[in-house]
Order: sequence, then C-alpha cells, then structure tokens
Amino acid sequence: MALKQISSNKCFEGFQKVFEHDSIELKCKMRFGIYLPPKAEIGKCPVLYWLSGLTCTEQNFITKSGFHQAAAEHGLIVVAPDTSPRGCNIEGEDESWDFGTGAGFYVDATEEPWKTNYRMYSYIKDELPKLIKANFPADSERMSIFGHSMGGHGALILALKNPGKYKSVSAFAPICNPVQCPWGKKAFGGYLGSDLTKWEAYDATHLVKSYPDSHLDILIDQGKDDQFLSAGQLLPDNFIAACTERKIPVVFRLQQGYDHSYFFIATFVNDHIRHHAKYLNA
Amino acid sequence: CFLHWCLELALSRSTPEGLTFYHMDLYESKGRLEIFPEEPAGRGDGALGETSEESTGPGEDFRSSDQSAYDLEKEVDELTKLYGLDEDKEIDQELLGVAEQELPGKDSQDESQPLHSARAYDELHNHASSKEELRSDDRQDEQNIQPNSEEEAADIYCATCKIPIRAFDKLFGDHKDHEVTQLANAVESAKEEIQKNMCKLEEQVTEMENFASHLEEIFITVEENFGRQEQNFEMHYNEVMQTLTQRYEEKVEGLGEEKKQKLEALYGQLVSCGENLDTCKELMETIQELCKDKEKADFIKAAIPVVDRLGEFLKKDMDLELSTLPDFEDRVIDFSDVQQLMDSINTIAAPSAPVINPQAPNSATGTSVRVCWGLFSDDTVEFYQLYYKQVSDDTPSEEQAAPSPPIIKRKESRSCENGALVCWESGNMNPVDSYTVELSKLTNGENGDIITDSLINPNLDPAPALQPSVSLCLHYLMQFLGAETNKLQPFCSLVGTYFYLNEDTAHPLLSVLEDGLTIACSEIENLECDLSFRDNGFTRCIAILGSMIPFQGKHYWEVEVDENMEYRVGVAFENTHRHGYLGANSSSWCMRHIVTPARHKYEFLHSGTTPDIRITIPPKRIGILLDYDNWKLSFFNLDIAQHLYTFNSHFQHYVHPCFALEKPGLLRIRNGIAMPTSITLL
Repeated sequence: MALKQISSNKCFEGFQKVFEHDSIELKCKMRFGIYLPPKAEIGKCPVLYWLSGLTCTEQNFITKSGFHQAAAEHGLIVVAPDTSPRGCNIEGEDESWDFGTGAGFYVDATEEPWKTNYRMYSYIKDELPKLIKANFPADSERMSIFGHSMGGHGALILALKNPGKYKSVSAFAPICNPVQCPWGKKAFGGYLGSDLTKWEAYDATHLVKSYPDSHLDILIDQGKDDQFLSAGQLLPDNFIAACTERKIPVVFRLQQGYDHSYFFIATFVNDHIRHHAKYLNA
Repeated sequence: CFLHWCLELALSRSTPEGLTFYHMDLYESKGRLEIFPEEPAGRGDGALGETSEESTGPGEDFRSSDQSAYDLEKEVDELTKLYGLDEDKEIDQELLGVAEQELPGKDSQDESQPLHSARAYDELHNHASSKEELRSDDRQDEQNIQPNSEEEAADIYCATCKIPIRAFDKLFGDHKDHEVTQLANAVESAKEEIQKNMCKLEEQVTEMENFASHLEEIFITVEENFGRQEQNFEMHYNEVMQTLTQRYEEKVEGLGEEKKQKLEALYGQLVSCGENLDTCKELMETIQELCKDKEKADFIKAAIPVVDRLGEFLKKDMDLELSTLPDFEDRVIDFSDVQQLMDSINTIAAPSAPVINPQAPNSATGTSVRVCWGLFSDDTVEFYQLYYKQVSDDTPSEEQAAPSPPIIKRKESRSCENGALVCWESGNMNPVDSYTVELSKLTNGENGDIITDSLINPNLDPAPALQPSVSLCLHYLMQFLGAETNKLQPFCSLVGTYFYLNEDTAHPLLSVLEDGLTIACSEIENLECDLSFRDNGFTRCIAILGSMIPFQGKHYWEVEVDENMEYRVGVAFENTHRHGYLGANSSSWCMRHIVTPARHKYEFLHSGTTPDIRITIPPKRIGILLDYDNWKLSFFNLDIAQHLYTFNSHFQHYVHPCFALEKPGLLRIRNGIAMPTSITLL
C-alpha cells in the first residue's frame, strides 16, 4: 500500500509524521499520525497505538498531548489514526458529533448505510498494523494500545477481544460500558442494529466477564470533574466491579479536579507511556 | 622576530627614553594586549611618532591593522612590480631588506611602518606555507625564463651550466662536453633541493618562534626577579633606616636632657645671684637711710644690726663661678650594628626548621613509618635530610596490655547495596587510639583481596561504597606498641537493603516474632491503661519503625500479608508523631489497606490525604521501593508485577521503614533481597 507523507516535524530528536493512504477496509483515504523515536533510526521499536475520542482527527493527540518526550525516552513508535472514515458521502454522517464522522466507535458496522465504510475495528486490528509493519521499523511482536473516551473504549475492547495481541492497555476516561450509556446506545443502534448480543461484543464491561486469562495490566485515569462522568456516559464503576470479579488487574485513578480535556491527558500521558514501556521494553 | 626587535632598538635611538617594548604578536592575532601595560606610551612604537590613527584602544588596534593590511597589499604590489616577481617567497627577505634600509631615514614618518613589515612578513609567510608547491614551481618556471626560450622547448638539462637545453644543443652545440640529465630528473632533484631547504626554513621559523616565546617568558621572569629584589632591598633598607632613625632620636633626646640640666643649673645660679643682688641693694639702701642725719643714739641703735648683717653678708661666699659649662659632651653614634645590617643585605636567611606534624594514627607499620612536616613558603629549600634513631627496646615501665578486639554489634549494623554501617563496642577499659577497618571480599571462606582502603576513626562513619552482591568479611586490625591482632568475622551480605525492627518504637500491642522480621498484632484489649507504653513507642497506631536507611540510592523490601489483613506499610521520619497514625502527618507515607463490606479499599496516605485509587486485585506480596535519588516511594503487587502507586516526595531526611496493623494478624517482612527485574523497568 502506498503511503503519502503529509507532514514531518522533528520532535525530541525523533519525527512526528502524518501519512495518508487508501484504506481497503474503509474504502477511503485515511490519515494517521506516527511518531518515530530516535531509536527507530537504529533498530526496530515496539508500537503503541493511540485511539482518539469523539470529534477528533489524527491531529489532536499529536499536537495536544505532549507525549513525544516520553515516547522518545522509552523508544516507542506511537501511531494515532483518525476516528472514522472520511469523505464517504454517506447520508447523515455529519449530522451529529457523536455519530458518523469522527465517531466510528471502533466497531465493524453491520447496518446500512454504514457497513461498507465504517469498519474501524478491523482497520485498527488488522490493516493498520500490517501497514505499519511494512513501512516502518516496527517490531510487530510488541504492541500495546491506549486511548481516550471513545478511544479508551476502543483500546479496551481491542485488547479484550484479542488476548495476547497487546502487551498492555490503558485508557483516559474510557466509555467502559457503552450498552448502558446514551452515547453507546446511539452509536451501536446505528451501526449494529437492534440485536443486543452484537452490542455486547463491543462492550468492555461485558467482554471482561469472559476474558480468558488475566495477563493484562490495565491502567485507567479518570478526571473527577469530568462532565461526562457525572452525565453517566463513562460508567467506570461497572467495569471495575467486573474486573474485580474476574480478577483482571486494574489500577483506576480518580484524579481530583481534572476534566475530560486534553489538558487532563497531557498531565498523565507520561505515566501511561511508562506503563506501556514497562511491558513493551521487557 | 629577533631581527625585528633589533629594528626597534635601532629606531629607538632617536628617542632618549631608552628601551621601549612592543608586543610580540608576529604570528598571533592582532588584538593581543601589551605585555607591559604600564608603559606610558601604550604601544612601544608610539614613542616614535604621532599619527592620527595611533591610540591605545583595542578598537583602534583593529582599525590600524586593517589599515596596515591595506597598506600591506599596496606595498606588496609595489614591490612585485619593482622586482618583476610574482608571489615569490623572496619577497619576504626583500621586504625586510627594504624596510631595513628605509626606516632609519623615516623615523618621523608613519610609525606603523615596522608593523607593516611585520604584517608583510606574517602575510607572506602564510602565503609561503600554503603555496609551497606553487612557489617551487614558480621558481622553476623562473629559471625556465631564459633567453633561449623563444626557440623550441628545452627537453634535457645541462648539469654543468645548470640550464635546460635542447638535446640538439647537447649533441651539436656548446654543451657538447657537458654533463646532461633528463629534464624530468633535473626537475625532480631541484624540487627535492627546494623541499629540503623549505623544511630547513620552516625549522628555522619554528626555532625563531620558540625563541620569541621564550623571550616572552624571560621578560616576565625579569620582572619577577626585579620585583623580588626590589622587595628585598626595600625590606633591608627600611630596617637600616629604622635603626638609624632610632639612634638619632635617642641621641637627640640625650642632648636635650643635657641642655635642660645645664639651663636649670644656670637658672638656679641666676636666681640666687639675683637674690644676693637684692639683698645687697637692700642693705645699701638701709645704710644710706641710716647715714642720713639722725640722732646719735638712734643711729647707733639702727646701725649695729646693720653692721652685723653687713658683716654676715660679706662673709657669705659669693660663688661667682659657673656651675656648668656651656659645652656639651661629645656623643658618639654607634653605627656598628647598622653596618652589620648593611652587610647582611645580600644574605639569605637560613631556612626555618620544618615543623614535624604529630604522628597520624595508623601511619606506621612494623617496618615503616610515615613522617609529615610543614614548610615555610618563604624558604627556598634545596633538600631535607631526615634522620631517625631507634628508641631503646626496653619494655616501658608502664605495663600496658594489648587492647582486646572490639565486639561487633550485629543487630545495629546495617547495610545496603551501596554501603554498610558497622557498629561495635570497644571492649576495652582504656580508650583505644584508633581502629582500622579493612573490608575484604570473602571467597570460598578464605581471605580475598582487600577491596577498600582502611578507614580509621574512633567515631563511626558509614563505610565507603562497596560492590553489591558481595559478602563482606570484616577484618579488623589494631596497632598498639607494635602488637597486632587479626580476627576474621563474616559480617553480612551486601545484597539488597537490610534493616532491623526497632522494638523501642513498637506499640504495646505489636510484637516482633523471633525471626525479627514478622510482626503480630494481638487482640485489642478493652483498657488502654493496662498497656505499658514505651517511651519512644507508638501509642495509638499499632505501629513499629524499622532502623533508619542512611544510604543514598534505591532500597527495596517486601511485605507479605493475608488478603484480609488491614495494614499500613511505608516509610517515616525518625521524629514521626508517636501519638499519630502513619500517613496522617507530613512525616510519614504509607499504603493502607482496609476491608469494607463492599470491597477492598486502598489508600496512599501522606499528610492525611490520599488519591482516589481502585485496585481490582488485592495484593498479597507488596514490593516497596524507596528511591532517595529520584525522591520516590513506590508500591507494587509482586504477584502480577503491577505498579500500584508512587509517592513523589523530596525526602528531606533519611527515613525509616514503618509498619502498622489495624487488626489482629501477622505481617511478614522480607529485606536484604534484590529487586525483581520486573520492578527495575519502572
């Protein structure tokens, strides 16, 4: 697959680049950000995938989160894809900010008119890693995943649905139990139809209940002053209860005074990078 | 440069001031400072003449050097034209020759001329070194510019005439009998010749450069020596002057005294003289009065006493001799000691005897002794001679037994990967002068190489940094009257950090089991007043402190608990409140676990606050990592290698591990162990 470089900026002696390619899963042009640490010039590096939340593109994380220093220090390649297919001219895709464009929810849609393009789950799980391995000095054996909000949900489900694929997972204010919250209900209803079993296949709280092993170390940061937390969109307690039950190791930190924004992400992103580095560099 | 200096001297003859100095930057940057900035003329050549561009600021220097660079170019061009040469090294010598001839006639002219010569030499020399090859070729070409060059090109070389010629000429011309060689060979040998000479020239240049810098040093040394001599003279002459002044004052004072005495004596005489005079006059008056016409009877009555008085008076001895002479005695000034001083001006005082330092402990062995002494910096000492003699071998009258070996206090000694704290008791009635601690690596139970220097101090010092994972063998040595006792005692392992539990600090309900590292909380009785609280112990929190960890770096230990244990584990300062709870104040940090009906609750307490953290798997083995260097205290669930929480706190003092139980149960501590690799990654 041909990659077209859109931009490149030197950062902490590594490079933050943005590429565009024709996606097979999504059947449109997709962009992603990729940070290559200085170590990538010498050898292969592990890859950390970041999934952004509602309304974001590949730009938000790479410009706002301040993750580069930690990534450079620990020698990790960080890949930040877009949050949904773009420019597909699907009717209604731009109507709301929490459904359609910028709100892919990391599922493979089964309903029309979404099912052709809205296959973010497969894109993140298969196509993107293959692309990265083919074009960059990436160690395909070692990858981890993390994200924010809808991306946190994406990270959790991808890790839980693919045991052993990711060495570690972490999340910022994830949507832990989408089948129970307004966002999830709207999105799943639209992409997956009305069959609730299909919904559960993409719900972290449900997936945990049947997760086969406990070799997963999950770190979650949640702002205490997060408006969406109080609005019942995130529901971390359900997830923690399920993990406790299932004996899945989780450290969940409720951060006093923090909200849902990238300022919150920037504050704790170093802890998360270190968390992943521990497993990726082992 | 030497040549140049001569030029300067020659020039300075026109000025009566004597030697002027100039800065020796023949090959250096133009902005260099003068050697002797006190010189009133600033730059030595300023004495020669004044031009508008002459001034002493560095800015001006640059300007004038630019000026000189420009002038240089002009000069070079002039000379090139003059001699019909092109970038030839011979210009250097020519230029100097020119300078030499021109300058004496131009002494009132632009004084920067000699500088220009220097610059010229400078510039051209640089040219010379970089364009070596070219120049030799040029020279060669020059030689080729011969009268017969208008004909066909020469192709061989006549060694006899030292010119290139055509082969034809050899066979048929003037050069018939001459020796010839191939032109190429001739070229080669000529080039070689030039190379050699070039090298020699360069050597010469280097020599002269070295000489120049050597001269610089000599300048400085002359100044120094001058300074020293000046000081010496000043000192001595001051002494002499002082002595003379003193003498003078003494003599003058003596003279003054004498004068005073004389005057007093004379004055005394004058006074008595005056008195006598008065008496005389008075008598005469009386007599005159008397002799005026009076009754005979009255006259006789008055006259008799007067006659008596007169008689008396006349009997008196009128001392009309001077009591003192106006002359003063001669005083001789004794100059002998001044003479001595004058003579001693050039003597150098004998160096003061060195002061031997008292013998440092442990500076002697059976066969050697270390002697240290102090010098006086004013002295110039060529060498010292050290003599020794043996004090008699007789046993001293005072019998002193060799000291007994110290008793190592194992319990109170501590170690970690970076150091060890060794505590011992003297075991002697009399004070011991010093201890020597030698640490050696234990290999197979035998004495290994000694890995550190011995430290000697009756006070305790933490041992120097030691290699980790080495079993220490404490080998101590004491010296007293030559007696030595060696004993070996295995000490401790240096893997990980070891500390002991300080029972003095324990709450009455907390007991330490026999292994020294397990704590147990007994059933909580109803009445607190039945409990015997220790002076230094906790009173509310059922806690105990470990011994202080007084070493920099990372320290690691583990705690084993039952899932339902309620505990606090962490670190605290020595002075943490014994009436408080661990973590409730600013002098302690701990992880706390309690069990609520709903779930396990974890707190990470410091100053009474904790972040809100949920942990899904209750740890049974907790790893605690104290990092003094990075100011962190971290907790881990060892079974799943999960990082739980890290305090970031700048510990102002060394801390003690602390442990507390909140309900009956056991807590096992493990220390002196290496950090697991999964932890080291964080």
